[in-house]
Amino acid sequence: MSDRQAIIRELAREALAEGRIDCFVGWGPGYDGSQVIPVFAKDAAEVEELQWNPLCHHNLTMFLKRKMAEPADARIGVCVKGCDSRTLVALLQEGLVDRERLYIVGVPCDGVIDRRKIDREFAAEVVEVGVNGDTVVARTAAGAEKHFDRPALLLDQCAACRFPNPRVADDIAGDTVPEPEGEPVWPALEEFESLSPAEKDGLLAAVFSSCIRCFACIHACPVCYCWDQCVNRSRTPALVGQRVETPENLMFQLVHIFHVAGRCPSCGACDRACPVEIPLYLLHQKMNKELYDMLGFEAGVNVDDRPALQAFNLDDPFGQG
Amino acid sequence: MKFLKESDLPAFLEHLSGEAAVVAPAKVDGMVRFLPWSPGTEVELEALLARQSAKEFIFPQWETFLKFRYLMVCDAKRPGTTEDAKMELRLSEEGEGGGEVVAVPAPAAHELLMVGAEQQAVSQVIFGLRPCDARGFVQMDRVFGGYGGFYFDPYYHARRSVATLLVVSCHEPRSTCFCRGVGGGPADAEGADVLFTRVPEGFVAQAFSDKGAAVLQYPGFEEVSEPQVAAAEQSKARAEEMVSVPFELESLREGLRANFESADWQELSRRCISCGTCTYVCPNCYCFNVTDEVVETQGERLRSWDNCFNPSYTLEASGHNPRDAKPSRFRNRFNHKFWYYPEKYDSLLCSGCGRCITYCPTRIDIREVLSVMGGNETRAAGQAAGGAGAADGQVAADAKVGGDAADGEESQHGR
Repeated sequence: MSDRQAIIRELAREALAEGRIDCFVGWGPGYDGSQVIPVFAKDAAEVEELQWNPLCHHNLTMFLKRKMAEPADARIGVCVKGCDSRTLVALLQEGLVDRERLYIVGVPCDGVIDRRKIDREFAAEVVEVGVNGDTVVARTAAGAEKHFDRPALLLDQCAACRFPNPRVADDIAGDTVPEPEGEPVWPALEEFESLSPAEKDGLLAAVFSSCIRCFACIHACPVCYCWDQCVNRSRTPALVGQRVETPENLMFQLVHIFHVAGRCPSCGACDRACPVEIPLYLLHQKMNKELYDMLGFEAGVNVDDRPALQAFNLDDPFGQG
Repeated sequence: MKFLKESDLPAFLEHLSGEAAVVAPAKVDGMVRFLPWSPGTEVELEALLARQSAKEFIFPQWETFLKFRYLMVCDAKRPGTTEDAKMELRLSEEGEGGGEVVAVPAPAAHELLMVGAEQQAVSQVIFGLRPCDARGFVQMDRVFGGYGGFYFDPYYHARRSVATLLVVSCHEPRSTCFCRGVGGGPADAEGADVLFTRVPEGFVAQAFSDKGAAVLQYPGFEEVSEPQVAAAEQSKARAEEMVSVPFELESLREGLRANFESADWQELSRRCISCGTCTYVCPNCYCFNVTDEVVETQGERLRSWDNCFNPSYTLEASGHNPRDAKPSRFRNRFNHKFWYYPEKYDSLLCSGCGRCITYCPTRIDIREVLSVMGGNETRAAGQAAGGAGAADGQVAADAKVGGDAADGEESQHGR
């Protein structure tokens, strides 16, 4: 892990010193010893803040989409894990990012810690998280401490990850990791798919009653880029209403899920951004399973592919009688 | 002051629920939220803060102002039709049948019938607020309360005037708390009708209003003892010491004014994703939208929470958007809370709860922003601003800050 951190810093330092980029986007320390935030390094001093560890969950490609990459003609270095690289591939497939302006540092990934799994074990606030191999130590301000097994803390999606190595990169931070072979598996969906329609209705009603329409999911998503033109924001006509209650909230999220389908690799950025912990990863994963079952398609794998719902293919297996 | 045994808390809340809807923090699916309370619901007071403030119970995330329907003039002129339609519209209002239906002539051979929403609100008791939550209401009271001769909001007032705020002081502030930095504190009573402080086996309770004094008449309260009072004072003092003061408040307004054109706004807002989480979890962000939702000939006029990070927040009918650039929207939030609002309403619009830090997807830190931008030293690096538009601060010279090249061009339309 620390090797990769050193390599990331070295690559960023060189790219900046050689004038190949204006800014390098990576992960760095947040407001306490348990937080990681996106960091925009522009000089050698800021490069020293860059980190790589299992808390580095942000999908930094969200900063490459239109109206986030400022100034618009900046040359940007960016770190991507495997899942992050797939949203970058999706953006490249649609021609939404200029490849010439990017310096991509791919970071092979062993899995990202789900912060919520730590926080739920404490009544008080966790202010420090340390990772030492497979042991994770979390501490509160008062000194209460718990040890965890790292594999048990990983995001649900990491268990099913088939693309831990970046799909696109200019340089790779260290050795690649073994990649699972074979068909995709969907362990997160087992329980959901075993529910009856009435039970699913109940689950969706319960979780979407909490939605506060903050748009964190929409904005954290690298392939959700319509901004003020978003269907969910439209007021004339008001396609999704302003009644912030279950039916409209569910419609709001369905609009998002359907619109990103074919470009969403279930990176989970939406899920992690949600302040009320709606299981968005689960719902996006369900959409992606449907796409895979119907069309054999997985989003963000090859730059030369077209997103499934933007391609017209006479050999399309779905609809062949 | 009086004392309430911890074990008597459910009975106390049940007593209150006889006359008012009770709201209290409860843990559901691992998350602590302010929720309607009913007997049997366990109140969660271990966790310091509910995920959201209790703002929505007095200033709901959406509400109906009025309902309306159109009648074709030919319909309206048919005997009985208008009266039937009025009756239907009036009865469709929740509660006692709605107010008087007003008929106005409308363009294109229609008649428009409108009925306003009932402005009578259900009495509420919100228990388990922290001082920062209660202070949020006090700060919002200015803008909605006609302060300075400005607008008086009857909808907010209807709920606010029948709400009782029962505050529980903070036992263990979080690292993100900065109430003391904005003139508050973990045991501050501003806005509280009763302030409860946790002591062994219960709470010391002190009333700060007539409403509060009435609450303390509940027979379940006992006489408070000297040791209990001392324990309460000790708890408050300990909590006070745990909250830091991260920036200097005095110079903040002038510092923000001086730094209006600073390029540092672009740097500070870099990792902001321009969602609205911070505004929606905030105890006192109050910006709202008014929209009509119409299906064929019937509709409702709704008020709903808006947020200043919304890219369309300042989108005008012409298509021009003075805050099309993210740094300018970012700057606006802090300026609103610490400069424009105080200037207009003599109150800050921040109570230091720190939720915006905790729930921001990229952990933008308001303390950092204010320390950097609110200092006395002007940071005008890289911008030849010339000061134009900075004088009163509310002019939208915002297009100058960051993202000009691509975003600026989209916002410069004149039609």
